[in-house]
Amino acid sequence: MGNKQTIFTDEQLDAYQDCTFFTRKEILRLHSRYHELAPHLVPMDYTNEPDCKLPLALIVDMPELKENPFRNRIVESFSEDGMGNLSFNEFVDMFSVLSEMAPRELKAIYAFKIYDFNVDNYLCKEDLEKTLNRLTKEELTPEEVELVCEKTIEEADLDGDNKLSYADFENMISRAPDFLSTFHIRI
Amino acid sequence: MLLFMLLNVCTVGGSYFTQIELNMMTKSSDVVKNDIKNNLNPFNIFKTHKTSPLTLGLYSWNFGGGVQSYFLFLKFLVILNFVSFLLIGGFVLIPSIVFNSLGEPPKLESSGNCTIYEPNPQGLVVFYEYFLHLLSGTGFIEYSYMFYGYYDNTVVEDSSFSYNIPVAYLSTAVFYFAFCEYLLISRMGKATRVAVTTGGSDVSNYSLIVFTGWDFGCLGGKATKLKQRNIYYRLQVDLEEERLKKHAASLTMCKKVTLYSLRVLSFFVALGLVAAACYSIFEATKFSQDNSDKEGILGLIYEYLPSIVITAGNFLVPLLCDQLALLEKYSPSSTVIVALLRAVILRLASLCILLFTLWDQITCKGNQNDDECNECHYNYQEYPCWETRVGQEMYKLTLFDLLVNIALLVLVEFPRRMVVDNTSCKLSQWVGRQEFVVPSNVLGLVYGQTVVWTGALFCPLLPLLNTAKFVILFYCKKITLFYNCRPALRTFRSTSSSFFFLAVLLFGWIIALVVMIYSVAVMHPSQACGPFRSFDNMWQIVPNSTYYLPDVTKEFIFFIGSQAFSVPLSALSCVVMCYVIALASIHGRSVVMLKAQLKLVCLSFFFIYNQMFNSFSCLMQPICYP
Repeated sequence: MGNKQTIFTDEQLDAYQDCTFFTRKEILRLHSRYHELAPHLVPMDYTNEPDCKLPLALIVDMPELKENPFRNRIVESFSEDGMGNLSFNEFVDMFSVLSEMAPRELKAIYAFKIYDFNVDNYLCKEDLEKTLNRLTKEELTPEEVELVCEKTIEEADLDGDNKLSYADFENMISRAPDFLSTFHIRI
Repeated sequence: MLLFMLLNVCTVGGSYFTQIELNMMTKSSDVVKNDIKNNLNPFNIFKTHKTSPLTLGLYSWNFGGGVQSYFLFLKFLVILNFVSFLLIGGFVLIPSIVFNSLGEPPKLESSGNCTIYEPNPQGLVVFYEYFLHLLSGTGFIEYSYMFYGYYDNTVVEDSSFSYNIPVAYLSTAVFYFAFCEYLLISRMGKATRVAVTTGGSDVSNYSLIVFTGWDFGCLGGKATKLKQRNIYYRLQVDLEEERLKKHAASLTMCKKVTLYSLRVLSFFVALGLVAAACYSIFEATKFSQDNSDKEGILGLIYEYLPSIVITAGNFLVPLLCDQLALLEKYSPSSTVIVALLRAVILRLASLCILLFTLWDQITCKGNQNDDECNECHYNYQEYPCWETRVGQEMYKLTLFDLLVNIALLVLVEFPRRMVVDNTSCKLSQWVGRQEFVVPSNVLGLVYGQTVVWTGALFCPLLPLLNTAKFVILFYCKKITLFYNCRPALRTFRSTSSSFFFLAVLLFGWIIALVVMIYSVAVMHPSQACGPFRSFDNMWQIVPNSTYYLPDVTKEFIFFIGSQAFSVPLSALSCVVMCYVIALASIHGRSVVMLKAQLKLVCLSFFFIYNQMFNSFSCLMQPICYP
């Protein structure tokens, strides 16, 4: 189908199709969503690969992310600078990993990054406490939070260093029957 | 990429779940309701083996996995009943209709000792009585294809074609039971496989809730808040269990003794409540059978008295037992299990008592030499066609169950929602909207299905009636779920419970099987009606009809029935069973060993991975751009 679009060259669209789990149509739709977030910043013409990044505040305003308690961490994990400024490539990347076609391994990598608040490649107690507080909207008492974090580390920690490395996390995720369906945002 | 190859080693367990997972999609609520109208149809399962993930996912997303398992269970029962009806219809109903229309319609004897049966009332019938007859299974319905009494002992023998209705009737009943058992067992096998591969819910509870509890697809503030509360409650349940365990461990000897004696006492009290319910059902059934000749609305109430008492008992006794549970102080999961067991025992016991009372009345307490049962081997005065009577009781139970459900929906749930939504007084807010309680609803389904299995021999069209009933129930429950119920904050664990409900269903099947075997092999069929009127028991038709078979087949069948065959067969099946049990235990052990090996492999590979992860962080971008 010869779409008379001028946003991307054909080679670019093919590359996007190869590297992500989206079709051409979906990539064009994603571009229009990206453009909607900041029409004056995002150019319509991407054929010469402009260097345009949208700040965190604009991205987390999207309806798909607005109410998600982990929205900041999600956007930060996919940004190169770690501050949450996403270029279009990173934007597509994010939704590609969160789509239903992404494999389990890939989702597990990014889930680990999202829950790792202090970005030290381990899920330590502080990371767990922050996760828990966002999950329950801070309704658990501090003792309960302490107890749950202890139990979580106890259950999942295989190498006994009192924090969860990626290996521990991946092993625990493999036993979750609905991880693929919960770690999914539809756009 | 090398990373992915390394990662693939450790996701052996992961591939199991892609089949079981349902993709949950999120849409705005208007689109949701449109999708419900378009997609939710119990017969959709004929078109696609997997029911629409969107709609089932909606149940799961909104109301928790337990509700989803309820609707899946209901769909399974609809299909079971529909296929059973096709079986009965094809082999018993349609041949009967054809032979009756080609030959003569079945005639009733008007003379003889035990052979007079007059189901149709004499004289003019008032028009509203047709409706009463429809509800109570008497009158025009009693002598119709609905009940056993109308079927004849027609044997058609032509040069090219022969058909023996009594043999067809009996073999269809036997095959129906075997078919239901096969479906049940295969479904239980699937449920067990799921339960085993997910490794039980106790193992990594907290970590799974924390890391996979959040649904990233949640849209909207309301849904988010709901999900947060849901996770909070799940964690609370587990924390409560921990607290109770600690508390139980710290009890002094004296307190332990008090607690255990309280538990024993409440066990006996619960048993006493169940016994009281059973006794009242016994009395109600006797009263109803003794006063079965009353007319009009009062007659209808007397007819439905056993069903009313059973329903009232099934409602009151669990309520009282819940109060008892406060004394017992079990952990939350144990409380749920104990309450479920009590409800199950109550329901099945009430059905058993009803059947026992009927047997009592029909066979004069099993005493053939009693005055009333001397002549015809059963109480002919009260029950000229006892099979139809039993069929009528099951028919009434099924109908009453449906009527009560519809009445509850219209008279209780809708008004409750109207009141709660439109008034703002404290009482209505405290009561709140209805919560969809999964266990009691599933037990209701199991009970209804057991009643149908028990009554299928005496009321061949009961599976069709049950299909219609379950379809109506499906839509009623769907409506009540989405319009009247609030999402449950405490969700029900569905993986282990689906196995439990199937086990209870199997137990109900066993009860129905016992009833069928007893009726076929021991009880004397009515001499005034039915396809077995000239035999001493229903099973006799099978040896009789083998006389017409060629010699070789006869010898073969007698050989199979003889001891020379059955003893070696049972010895062989024991051997096969031992082998299968040994195989299962070996597999169990190898699963445990493989899991331990998997851990070791993961550790060693990811030790290397962690080094790479830390040193070469740019390798983490698996997606490349030109």
